[in-house]
Amino acid sequence: MTGVNSIALATGRPIAQRASAAGLDLTGLHRAYGETRALDGLDLSVAPGELVALLGPSGCGKTTALRIVAGFERPDAGSVRVGGTDITTVTPSKRDMGMVFQSYSLFPHLSATDNVAFGLRIRRVSSTVRRSKALELLELVGMSAQADRYPHQLSGGQQQRVALARALAIQPTVLLLDEPLSALDAKVRLQLRDEIRRIQISLGITTVLVTHDQEEALSVADRVAVMRSGRLEQCAPPAELYARPATPFVAEFVGVMNRIKGVISADNRVRVGDQSLAIDGEHPPANTPVWVLTRPESVRVSVQPSSQLDGALIQVATFLGAITRLTLTLPDGTDVKADLPSHEAGQFPIGSYATVTLADRAVLIVPRS
Amino acid sequence: MVASLRRFRWWRLAVLIILGIYFFGPLVAAFLFTVHNTRLHTWSFAPYGQMFGAAGFGASLRMTLWISLLTIGIVMLLMVPTMLAIHLRLPKARGIVETICMVPLVISPVALVAGVSTVLGWGLNNQGSWIFRLDAQLQSQSLPLILPLIDVVLVMPFVFRALDAGLRAVDIKTLVEASRNLGASWLLTTWRVVVPNLRTALLSGSILTLALVFGEYTVSSILGFTPFAVWIVQDGQGSGQLPIAVSLLSLLLSWVVLFFVAFAGSRRFRVSPASPTPVSSAVRSI
Amino acid sequence: MTALAPPHDVETTPPVTVAAPAPSRRTGSRSSWLALAPFVVYTTLCLGLPTWALIYESLRRTDPATQQTSFTWANLTTAWHGFYLTALWGSVKLSLITALISVIVGLIAGYAIVTSRGTVGKQLVLALSGVLANFGGIPLAFCFIATIGTAGEAVNLVHKVAPDFALDTFTGVVAVYPYFLVPLMVLVIVPTLEGLRPQWREAARNLGASTWQFWRYVGLPVLAPALLGGFVLTFGGAFAAYATAKALTGGTVPLITLRIASVISGNVLAGQENVGAAMSINMIIICGIVMAIYLPLQKRSARWLQA
Repeated sequence: MTGVNSIALATGRPIAQRASAAGLDLTGLHRAYGETRALDGLDLSVAPGELVALLGPSGCGKTTALRIVAGFERPDAGSVRVGGTDITTVTPSKRDMGMVFQSYSLFPHLSATDNVAFGLRIRRVSSTVRRSKALELLELVGMSAQADRYPHQLSGGQQQRVALARALAIQPTVLLLDEPLSALDAKVRLQLRDEIRRIQISLGITTVLVTHDQEEALSVADRVAVMRSGRLEQCAPPAELYARPATPFVAEFVGVMNRIKGVISADNRVRVGDQSLAIDGEHPPANTPVWVLTRPESVRVSVQPSSQLDGALIQVATFLGAITRLTLTLPDGTDVKADLPSHEAGQFPIGSYATVTLADRAVLIVPRS
Repeated sequence: MVASLRRFRWWRLAVLIILGIYFFGPLVAAFLFTVHNTRLHTWSFAPYGQMFGAAGFGASLRMTLWISLLTIGIVMLLMVPTMLAIHLRLPKARGIVETICMVPLVISPVALVAGVSTVLGWGLNNQGSWIFRLDAQLQSQSLPLILPLIDVVLVMPFVFRALDAGLRAVDIKTLVEASRNLGASWLLTTWRVVVPNLRTALLSGSILTLALVFGEYTVSSILGFTPFAVWIVQDGQGSGQLPIAVSLLSLLLSWVVLFFVAFAGSRRFRVSPASPTPVSSAVRSI
Repeated sequence: MTALAPPHDVETTPPVTVAAPAPSRRTGSRSSWLALAPFVVYTTLCLGLPTWALIYESLRRTDPATQQTSFTWANLTTAWHGFYLTALWGSVKLSLITALISVIVGLIAGYAIVTSRGTVGKQLVLALSGVLANFGGIPLAFCFIATIGTAGEAVNLVHKVAPDFALDTFTGVVAVYPYFLVPLMVLVIVPTLEGLRPQWREAARNLGASTWQFWRYVGLPVLAPALLGGFVLTFGGAFAAYATAKALTGGTVPLITLRIASVISGNVLAGQENVGAAMSINMIIICGIVMAIYLPLQKRSARWLQA
């Protein structure tokens, strides 16, 4: 057993002692650059020790929000509070936050150890203590063997580990991660993402992660805040975001989503082809044409007799491991993705027809113009 | 980083103004000097017209032109095959060649001419031999062949860099391999693929050479010859309007040319990092 | 999940850039090396031979009485004394001063260029620097003579501030040399300044550093190799310059390049050519040291800024 626990046992004290982590509150943040509104009224609360991911497409304002939290930008309006204290006007060097940048942030003339110890040096920690803390943290991120290497001698993933250790060295109240994995290879990304989460949990540090990769956000975050055009669309735990997206944008941004044509019928149901589905909650009046949004795993595909030449035409079969994703074209021309266990995929050869049925409850209904 | 520095806009402006005065002031003053007669308080462009008729102007200009052409020819014939060989076949030799090309910078022109003068002196000690005759020919007053030979050495560091950058920018290795793969011979490849893509590098190297030869004073004056730069100093002993007018003109001319090359060259590479002459079309149009 | 396994790298080892030799049939074959022959022959004749001649002659002495030549260290020792030492020292002093001026001014100018907005202006100034750095010599000297020489247009202005100033003195040369040294410094420092990543500044601030602390612990150390390299390069450039000094002073200021030139041109006693050769060797040694310092510094700086 290694990692945080063994180090704690060996040295007798945990690396970061957080008696009580502090929460982060963003209230009414506005920021415009000339004509462009980067942030248009953002409200977000991060509980102490929680990891919230800011997720969204380029230009949605997530990086601006993070930079405002870090202090590199000032909001036009709104406030940033840490543990209840307003820090909106505090200079970045006094905010007690640790930030990991996307890339190129290690000081090139310093070794990994000296990079990690930098914040401690600024705080006038003696050099022996500095060095031992730095080595401790490098061990935590798995870089003790490279302690004396220089940034240009390290790969991208290694550099980001050192960057993380450096941010943690100052025992910050809040950890800020600005797309730390975007510049890395896929395999490295997966591995590092798990480790970052592991470390964050064990230290109990309040963290904000900015990313455009929804898979990354869903897999590590306690809650995911989906942003668009400077506003928050929804902030919820990953499962809820996936199963109950609040808006069509969230529904389609997170995971794969089908759009199928339907019409609202009386008695709170929607007609899709030959099927009638129940609807939860509000819906447009009867006879309104709508799009029914549903996940591939809610689409059932069944074999139909070869003599029957209507139904959905199977176009593509994408092997994803345990699941195979079929792309079918419905009689009305819309495409539908359906997931089924790979061992059943053989029954559905490309070019043949199949019957498509939707699970009983629709995920989301959107009016169709 | 830029954000915090916007506060210093005034500072930046002040710096640029002061530097502007230092760098452009002398040019302006020199120009005024050439057109303003302080004694008579008259203004005239006379010196600029006079220079064409001044004694020795034509001869020195012709000599310099002739030297530049020879220098450009020799240095290109020497360096282009060498650079190609390094980039295509002998990457290991690059270090040696680069070091050799940097040696003229270490051995400044003065030391170089000291050495050359010594060698020429040796030659003159062997009366009657072919060495003596060669030696004399090299130093003939009308056509001193020794000057292009040395100028080639002086200009090597710059031509190396220009060609090296040009070859790197177009990844000559891939182009040549593609061309050979499509069936072109070495000669055809060189003529239709390599040279067109190196046009900018060759041009800037040639113009740098031209500029250097025109400005070359040290070697020529110490060895006792009178190309353009030496003639400017000799004539009027440096304080008349004429030599200064000539200097200004030659300076501005070479600046305009170099400037043009630097600007045009950079724009070309910015626009087309990967659009050199298409290899296949060049080869197929045999 | 590998929560309990020691975190280790599955990534590849740090990227090492090696140009793999082309798997061509004729790589390194004899014919390829022959392609370098013209170059080698030419440089041996026109570069190697003069250098060898200098070394040879600096070690020889012709006894004026017997006309016997012998090998001796006397020339080299003479070159370090009296008349000749003054010239060497003069050049070193000149180069140190002008290099220092150029580094400081060049750094400030480079900073002003890099931090200004507008790419066209920047390109313009950089191209201009490239052009200016390659020029010294006669035209430059004449322009300054026309400006602040004894009959210059602006010499009265200068005399208001520095009444004793004269262009054909040591001070005059010091005033002119930066004209081509500062652009040289700008060309050296601008790539490094542009390579200063904004993330470093932000990371330093994030970790608690003030502006002063950033420059002290990060900014200046990263710039240091380029600054030193620039200093050394401008030193070498000033040391080796001849034409400008000659045109400005007519050879009156003690500088080693002027002394060597007068020796070769026969302006001094006969038999001094050997000392001239010795002085040239001294020059080569000093410039060689300059290069030996500059090149590794430049490589290190480039390496850091690449990462």
